[in-house]
Amino acid sequence: MKRDYWIYGGMGVVALVGIWVLFVGLPRWYPSEGMPTETSEASGRATDDELVAATLFYISDDGMRLVGFERRLVQHADPAVQGRIILEEQLAEPPAPLLSPIPPGTELRAFYLSDQDAFVDLSAEVALGHSGGSLEELFTVYAIVNAVTANIPAINAVQILVDGKEVDTLVGHVDLQHPLELNMQWVADPDADATQTSPVDQTDQL
Amino acid sequence: MLLMAILSANTCQVSKTLSPIRGMTGRLLVACCLVWLAAGSARGQTPDDPLTLVTPQDRRPLPTVRFDGRRLVAISELATPFGLTIADVRQPGRLTITRDDRIIVLTANEGLVSVSGQLVALASPPLERDGDWYVPIDFIGRALALVQDEPLELRPRSGLVLLGDVRVPQVVARYQRAGRQSRLRLMITPQTEHVVEQSDNRLLVTLDADALDLVLRDMRPDALVADIRAVDGQPALVVELRDGFGSFSATTEPALGGAVELVIDLQPRPVSTTRAAPPPTPPPGPRRGAGAGPPAGPGTGPTALIPGETVGDAMLPLLAELAPPRRIRAIAIDAGHGGNDVGTRGPDGALEKDVTLAVAQRLRNRIESELGLRVVLTRTSDTEVSLDERAAIANNDRADLFISLHTNASVRETAIGAEVFYLRLAEYGEEAREAGFTGQLVPTVGGGSRVLDIVPWEMAQLRHVDHSARWAQTVADELSQRVPMSPRGLQEAPFRVLVGANMPAVVVEMGFISNPDQEAQLTSTTFQSAIVSGLLRGIIRYRDEVESETLPLGPVDAGAPDASGRLP
Repeated sequence: MKRDYWIYGGMGVVALVGIWVLFVGLPRWYPSEGMPTETSEASGRATDDELVAATLFYISDDGMRLVGFERRLVQHADPAVQGRIILEEQLAEPPAPLLSPIPPGTELRAFYLSDQDAFVDLSAEVALGHSGGSLEELFTVYAIVNAVTANIPAINAVQILVDGKEVDTLVGHVDLQHPLELNMQWVADPDADATQTSPVDQTDQL
Repeated sequence: MLLMAILSANTCQVSKTLSPIRGMTGRLLVACCLVWLAAGSARGQTPDDPLTLVTPQDRRPLPTVRFDGRRLVAISELATPFGLTIADVRQPGRLTITRDDRIIVLTANEGLVSVSGQLVALASPPLERDGDWYVPIDFIGRALALVQDEPLELRPRSGLVLLGDVRVPQVVARYQRAGRQSRLRLMITPQTEHVVEQSDNRLLVTLDADALDLVLRDMRPDALVADIRAVDGQPALVVELRDGFGSFSATTEPALGGAVELVIDLQPRPVSTTRAAPPPTPPPGPRRGAGAGPPAGPGTGPTALIPGETVGDAMLPLLAELAPPRRIRAIAIDAGHGGNDVGTRGPDGALEKDVTLAVAQRLRNRIESELGLRVVLTRTSDTEVSLDERAAIANNDRADLFISLHTNASVRETAIGAEVFYLRLAEYGEEAREAGFTGQLVPTVGGGSRVLDIVPWEMAQLRHVDHSARWAQTVADELSQRVPMSPRGLQEAPFRVLVGANMPAVVVEMGFISNPDQEAQLTSTTFQSAIVSGLLRGIIRYRDEVESETLPLGPVDAGAPDASGRLP
């Protein structure tokens, strides 16, 4: 009878050690590499205090195109963290007279990478607060896609999610069922259009 | 130690001194251990296809490995061919590489590398494993190229690494079948001298280059061709022919972007009732072509190669004639939005869903009364219809053209003008475009088989997008004569409602309802009639064009509209 207690006790210890090794030890000894990584400001770590130039996109004076506007943002070595920094600035209210193509109140819920694709999860305000026009929807989508892909060469395409879910469109036009690549079709060419008041080469020190 | 404990548990079980519960515990631990071992092996690196380094002097393989789905190359493999020196002083988690006075610094698990002080982003961070460092293959083109004296380029699709002054044209090969005939289209970029010659049961296409960057699409063996592949170590591709092959003709045409398209039409062996003996083997002989030169006409091809068989070949239909006849019999009109989805809203309260329905009904009445064509409306009342359902309605009712009506909106009240959109193909990638032309051999009733194009539902528009571009151009031209157009009246866009339409399809944004003046126009009978007249005239023009011309096989490369919105 006493021998059985020792056997039961030994088995329990072995089981506990095994569970600890499987769920705590191994992940510590062999940290996962190459898995999709979601980032947050808390986990972000700036490599230095230098700022880096990033092009963000706003609506032109005539409302018919996007214009690139250069901002200086905190530089980070991790593309996932850098992408979040850029997008949060793109979603923020721009200085006058710039107009944002993204509905006010839109928040970045998550940003993560898988291979060369970025997934941008936005709050529902991006659709609920939208004017509903197709050109405006193109501006909203490509301001986000271009802000990421134009500034981070390691990211090839962006898929937009709303409230954590895949959607067909934001407001009934632009197909969001797959990742979208950089598209400057709706971005004004500063050389070809000298009338723009907010050309790409303007800078704004944050 | 864990494994020993598990084995011990199982030994005890075998000796039947433990209860069944203890036996289950042992099995559970063994299973956990096996799962962990399997997961561990999956996380390891496995050899992958090597890259090929091409220099003016030679070609050599560059081994690669695959780790967690990423294709990596070891720094040690790059050192010799690229003259790299790995610094002796190694810091933990950091590797310094030099080439002359230029320095590359890698940091483990950091996506950026420093190249002579310049930060370069990689597709994934470098890995340090067993004393060696591994980098994603894009390191070659993005970082290594910056420290080389000679040009260095990575061609990831073909796995080529080009170092120095080497000529390696890209050749995108597409193989299409139509009836008993086949066509091999080779888009050669940049244009390069080439020779097409037949030798026994193979065609050899040799380019005047150092190597070949071949991208092969849609290759499925058929009665004429068994295989198409690159020739190892040579700037050539070979077409392995089957017994059913009779003759070929080759033509070249200049293409966009300094490319040249080499088109090789393959004809089957004609069935001759006047000759018992098979036709003689055509004499092998090279046929030289160049991108800029005049195309060699088909008449100089098969008829010259097989004397006496010209009548048989002439009886075969031309490839262009095998394209399905195009007739415009039914028009699908899609009134955008509806029901709870009101669309855009004007400053005076006009709703997009009401304007689109009113214009759709006006257009239907005029098409039916003036053209006698059948009209399909995706909605006839204030109801909500999903985007995919709209395309499905048009497809199921066999419409020949699709028009989706909308009004636009902008945060700038001054925005004004109509716009016409067709599907932007680039968003769906070259692979998706190819998917629209994938032939599948299916059996037919009574025996035999035929080739059917299998088109994924959500990509039905891909095979029509070139015609959609011309249809959109026609609509934009006609609207521009009747209503104000935006500065870019014709555009491409990845609009969801177009993707599933199995016919030429456009979205027409009739004006900006957010502009107070345009809101008044869009709700007026006069403006709506002008829009309807423009669309009606566009339908008539497009119908007359497509019904009067012989359409070529395959897509028409319409290209993208220029700044003025006009197609090339």
